[in-house]
Amino acid sequence: MTVHNIRHGDASDGAFAEAVGGRLSRIDGPAKITGAAKYAVEQQLEGLAYAVLVESTIASGKVRAIDTTAAEVAPGVLQVLTPDTIISLKTAADWFGTPPPDKPYCPLARDITFSGQHVAAVVAETFERAVAAAALVKVSYEETPAIVDLSDGKAGDGIAIDAMTKEWGDAQGAFASAPVRICAAYNTPREYQAPMEPHGLIARWEGDRLTVWEPSQWLDGMARTYAEWFGVPFENVRLVSPYIGGGFGSKALALSHGAVAACAAKMLGRPVRLVMTRPQTFTGYGGRAATRQTVTIGADVQGKIQSIVHRGVNETSIDGMWVEPLGSVTSIMYTTPNFSSKQNVVRVNSVVPGAMRAPGENPSAFGIESAIDELAYEVGIDPLEIRLRNYAEQDPHAKKAWSTRQLREAFAAGAERFGWSRRTPEPRSMRDGNQLIGWGVAAGTYPVRRAYGEALVRILADGSVEVESSSIDMGQGTYTILAQTAAETLGVRADDVVVKLGDSRFPRAGVTGGSRLAGVMTGAVYKAATSALDQLVGLAISDPRSPFHALQANTLVVANGRIASPRGDGPDVSVAELLKSVGRDHIEATGDTMPANSTPEDRYKNYTTIAMSVPHTEGDYSRHSWCAHFIEVRVDEDFGTVRVSRVVSALDSGRLYNPKLAESQWKGGIIMGIGQALLEEGIVDRRHGRIVNNNLADYLVPTNADIPDIEVISVGIPDLHSSVLGGKGVGELAIVGVAPAIANAVFHATGKRIRDLPITLEKLI
Amino acid sequence: MTKTTIPVHLDINGRDHDLQLEPRVTLLDALRDRLGLTGTKKGCDHGQCGACTVHIDGERVLACLTLAAQVEGRTVTTIEGLAREGEMHPVQAAFLEQDAFQCGYCTPGQIMSAVACIREGHAGSDEEIREYMAGNLCRCGAYPHIVAAVRQAALEAAS
Repeated sequence: MTVHNIRHGDASDGAFAEAVGGRLSRIDGPAKITGAAKYAVEQQLEGLAYAVLVESTIASGKVRAIDTTAAEVAPGVLQVLTPDTIISLKTAADWFGTPPPDKPYCPLARDITFSGQHVAAVVAETFERAVAAAALVKVSYEETPAIVDLSDGKAGDGIAIDAMTKEWGDAQGAFASAPVRICAAYNTPREYQAPMEPHGLIARWEGDRLTVWEPSQWLDGMARTYAEWFGVPFENVRLVSPYIGGGFGSKALALSHGAVAACAAKMLGRPVRLVMTRPQTFTGYGGRAATRQTVTIGADVQGKIQSIVHRGVNETSIDGMWVEPLGSVTSIMYTTPNFSSKQNVVRVNSVVPGAMRAPGENPSAFGIESAIDELAYEVGIDPLEIRLRNYAEQDPHAKKAWSTRQLREAFAAGAERFGWSRRTPEPRSMRDGNQLIGWGVAAGTYPVRRAYGEALVRILADGSVEVESSSIDMGQGTYTILAQTAAETLGVRADDVVVKLGDSRFPRAGVTGGSRLAGVMTGAVYKAATSALDQLVGLAISDPRSPFHALQANTLVVANGRIASPRGDGPDVSVAELLKSVGRDHIEATGDTMPANSTPEDRYKNYTTIAMSVPHTEGDYSRHSWCAHFIEVRVDEDFGTVRVSRVVSALDSGRLYNPKLAESQWKGGIIMGIGQALLEEGIVDRRHGRIVNNNLADYLVPTNADIPDIEVISVGIPDLHSSVLGGKGVGELAIVGVAPAIANAVFHATGKRIRDLPITLEKLI
Repeated sequence: MTKTTIPVHLDINGRDHDLQLEPRVTLLDALRDRLGLTGTKKGCDHGQCGACTVHIDGERVLACLTLAAQVEGRTVTTIEGLAREGEMHPVQAAFLEQDAFQCGYCTPGQIMSAVACIREGHAGSDEEIREYMAGNLCRCGAYPHIVAAVRQAALEAAS
């Protein structure tokens, strides 16, 4: 009935700010900059009680006894929870939806497998009283020897993860006969997401209905977990998360502290707030696993790769499984006729590691993008040239065409802007006084992960529009880009669109992770808005009360909040006037991106598990975002201190729904990458298996003074194989490749190849 | 219950508040949990992140390291008190224009620091801004845009 033209421009296609592709400022911005935005645990509830966790001080063993006597009689204490007193829960399914074992789940531990495990909790009338009483809980243990980290002599070689094996050709044989051979080991330490908002929640029960205000990257997945723990229907659990103070992968799952708070609320019959202390955020959930890789490359004397042999190891916990896919970039970045990648995981006494910005791709790129630089120096060609010489014209692993791969364009644009041609190749050949200057390059990539989403679009009687979705905005700009999508599709101003997110009562959405949200949700809003528009035009044409009824038009045009015939030969009325004339106070439509024959079971599974994610190599294409980082470092020759002084990155995220906000996310990823390269490392106490630097003064994240100007260049083109509106992933891409670009720059500056992150001064002097 | 609380009178954003508090209650928790002024954020509770930055008698101070009882007789300004008669403070407007935030959680503290940074005369160059804004962590990595926003607001203040 209606014809909708989507404009498919390049990344700068926003002719006006409010359309998709425009540089609209964040519509949630005013609430955030005035302090009006209420984050999850900031809800002011009547009768709120405060819970504080008590954690294990050993890394391995058993709780022998918990003496709660003093805590129970401390002022204001309402309840002390231990494994013996907390109510019993059921085990919930994992994030794949795998049916769980039929056994009880206790979020407070008797068997200790890492330092910092929750063993008790105190609930009191005020936060201060809960903190004071928690310090009075006395826990005694039977301690057993712990495996503190990957380098522990007891750690062993671990478990082979066969699903990670990727092989073609004869990698070992081709390496043995290659004229140029390099082999090196690359290590990354434990790293932490460290969002500025600590994890926490408020749980409130009303009968058998639970409301949880909790920062969440996945409302429907977390609601399912709470429902399964407490044995109540999914519909009985409401997750509310209107703003999220950073997640970076860490806020996607319901965790044991959430179970403790929800148990306490149920047992007390009062709403309970529990917020982790900053130190608890280092053990209450997992950061990025420590990794070890060896990368072996065989090449000809021109630097053309003939073989890559890659072996990776990551740590996991004693009783959980986390696989950080270390061969993910290794297997696709460069073309090679022979390839082998295998991976083990090693159990250590740690909390189970988790997702942190580009899990897999990030450490994987540190290995291969350092190794290719080593190969460039081995054969004596430019590090940029060797990347072009081995450019993969198709996905070397999947043997499929790229949907789009603007990596060559990224190298060209970045090199031009950075001035790469002025680089002198010899290490220590560029200096400024006592500062050694190094220029490094590295590429990055992240797959286009896809799932499905739903959204509701409602046109109200005054002509304004509401969009509802249980997806979330943790700073990526969801509120804004969904307003732009609805505004463009419906022909209204973005100012007239109200976007409501972060409530599991709204139409459903899968996990906000893997950089998939923008592509999924703009598609869902586009479809919902298109349906609403069809309804509106349909009413205008067919309703006898409509001013357009006599026109006998086939279609009508909606623009600037007004509806008219395409030829302009009939009435021209506002959407509000039309709705009034046909006696409607609103029109609404739900849209989703699910296959048409999806069952309710499919939908539930899609939104509450990750089992329905669409492979990025589905069908004829391999879909990825790409980037190239050009980075200058200055190394003090005497002290070995490294400062990043200049960054130019060119990135292909396909079409950008809002370049202003995408650029912010890219820069944020690059800055987290600078932290990874130079600062960030969880330091393990080898006697007790504790994270020594579990706070923001000792676990160093970049500060403003650490960060230079950063220039980002979009080289993407719309990729309609990747999403409805042509975008690829933004959030995770830009961190990938930053650490190797810095390590490569440090080599250029100093002649020292640092293969062990972070690159701290003692490794250079 | 034994008497463990004391009366505390607070002047916050030009309004008087009379509270009955335990002496150990921090200004941050008084703002957030007793007064519902949740614009001031808790990121670390140990003076390491700057998310709780407020102004006391016009100077930037970490509310998590300040007891509520310490600010009796002094004036406290929080992010909620920065706008005047509904008009955003120029620093707030610059943060919006420059996209100097993403998740928004460190933002109130950044803005309170930025207002003070300019007032102190520490916004003379990008290098100086970076140094004097280094006490406010932003994990989303908005730093280059924060510098741009502070520079813009400082230029507006000087003109």
